[in-house]
Amino acid sequence: MFTFEKRWLLRIADAILPAGAHQRLPGAREVPLGGLVDDLNRFAPWTLCLAVRAATWIVTWFGPVITGRARLFGGLSVPERGRVLEELSRSRVYLIRELPVLLKMVSCLGYGGLPSVQRAVGLTSVDAHPPAWARGGA
Amino acid sequence: MTVIDLDATRGTRDRVDEADFVIIGTGAAGATAARVLSEAGHDVALIEEGPAPPQAGFRADAYSAFRSYWRDMGFQAARGRAAIPILQGRAVGGTTVVNGAIVHRLPEAVHAGWESDGALDSRLSYDALTRTFETLDRELRVGPAPESVLGRNNGTLRAAVKTLGARGNVTLRNVDGCRGSGRCNQGCPTGRKQSMHRTFVPRAMRAGARVYATCRAERVRFSRGRASGVSARFRHPVTGERGPRLTLHARRAVLVAASAVGTPMLLLRSGVRHPLLGRRFAAHPGTSVMGIFDEPVRMWSGATQGYETTEFLDDDMKMETVGVPLEIGAARMPGFGADLVRRVADFGHVAQWGVQVKARARGRVRRGLFGDTAIHYDLTDEDVSRFRRGVARLIEMMFATGAREVWPGVHGLPARITSADAAAGLADMDDDPRRFHFIAAHLFGTAAMHPDHRRGVVGPDGGVHGVEALHVIDSSVFPSNLGVNPQHSICAIAWRLAAALA
Repeated sequence: MFTFEKRWLLRIADAILPAGAHQRLPGAREVPLGGLVDDLNRFAPWTLCLAVRAATWIVTWFGPVITGRARLFGGLSVPERGRVLEELSRSRVYLIRELPVLLKMVSCLGYGGLPSVQRAVGLTSVDAHPPAWARGGA
Repeated sequence: MTVIDLDATRGTRDRVDEADFVIIGTGAAGATAARVLSEAGHDVALIEEGPAPPQAGFRADAYSAFRSYWRDMGFQAARGRAAIPILQGRAVGGTTVVNGAIVHRLPEAVHAGWESDGALDSRLSYDALTRTFETLDRELRVGPAPESVLGRNNGTLRAAVKTLGARGNVTLRNVDGCRGSGRCNQGCPTGRKQSMHRTFVPRAMRAGARVYATCRAERVRFSRGRASGVSARFRHPVTGERGPRLTLHARRAVLVAASAVGTPMLLLRSGVRHPLLGRRFAAHPGTSVMGIFDEPVRMWSGATQGYETTEFLDDDMKMETVGVPLEIGAARMPGFGADLVRRVADFGHVAQWGVQVKARARGRVRRGLFGDTAIHYDLTDEDVSRFRRGVARLIEMMFATGAREVWPGVHGLPARITSADAAAGLADMDDDPRRFHFIAAHLFGTAAMHPDHRRGVVGPDGGVHGVEALHVIDSSVFPSNLGVNPQHSICAIAWRLAAALA
């Protein structure tokens, strides 16, 4: 995955789990989600990496199609980004509607796996330290 | 537990070893066979592709578990009209390290079907299996999930079952003194689950067995029509780093217990040819329904899967609680954006229950274009119809016990519904599997058992037709799926087949 693709993916994650939506919970951009993306990129099966990249490209470039504005996903307003994800997830085409689901899975794996988020939600059995992938380790 | 793995062999030369029995796979089947054979005085060597997990103290996050102990990070998928993740553990102890520890004996009706089809002989009579189940119950500390750790996810399903007058029970599990951490699928953090890496593998090792972990069996070796050993290589399961080769010679036999996916792949790589090898792949696909309640549910507190209803077993459906970690739960919740974040914040009020189906579908495991594993599996209309009924029942049960809102997760239904009536659309829906999100975790049938070589890959003793000293002892040999969780049946059948070789 190229750096710009990772940036696109993190912007999509930011739209899936935005900051400021809840007083106790951070947004995806406020947590080290990039560590999970790097780890997946290095070690996940190639089929998964390919699917994540394809989903990132399609969601990014579908923005103009759905909103009618000549801007990629990252350049849309917060409500517009939400609309793009919702529209895609309701698509009649199975493969299209699975794309945001896959990116949501990746985003939530990184987000919900962090002890800080788990504590904020109220989980009682939480690790003392973040996992290695969140610290940039292998 | 000392195992020989990549770390221990890094920078060393290729190895050669010899044992009476070489067993490929350390899950329910391989570990059980190792325990039986090594305690009978045989020299046993086990090969396992995955790492040796800790005895306790697993990390709480799902991704760390997926990465280390699940095949393809939990993203192995069968292809059909719908992509279905096929969940399998990959560690010393196999899937037993990360499963829900649910125990069911082989249903008598399923056994009777196998028997009437002529697939079995006296080794696997129901009486013999019953005696083995009793031994397994003792050794694996099988019992109902204690009331003190049942938790609200399980308790709420129990209340729903009672309200609707259905049959249900606290799940029997192989857990000794469960602390209710709700983390079975990440590996038991307190070491209470009696997974194979805590029970039969160490027991076999105390009797002299040795375990080669992070070591991938590449092919079975043959000499004059007889399986003579295994060629393997140490390889890091995540990074792919390669270590030395390992050649294991088998004095008596090679036993393959690499799962209904891994076993046919290994046999195909080894040159074994049979028209049914890799075919008749069967599974128990499942899907789930989530509901949000006014009262706290706290899925993270209590047995991960502690209650089930058997009311619909006759219709080949089994319903049970499915406790999930936050990250998986969040991904399953409806919506995106601020709404999703608010639902994540309410995770403590969310319950999740699932329905698994004894599917009629049969698939195939074979080598893909790039030498990888390709699984083709497409649910039949009859299977999807069962899921439509099962999901409708789960929705009804959720509302019967006070759910404020239910999230069916079915394309074509509203993402959020506030009454059971809103699920009426399920009755008129078509049987397209792409409407649901399935997973499949119980796999069978890819090297089925039958004395007639035209009807089975292996005989009633697990021996591969036409090859001496090569036995398959895992759920690949099951002639059909079971309708219930298979770990106990896998252990029992492996026990009986291994005991016959001892």
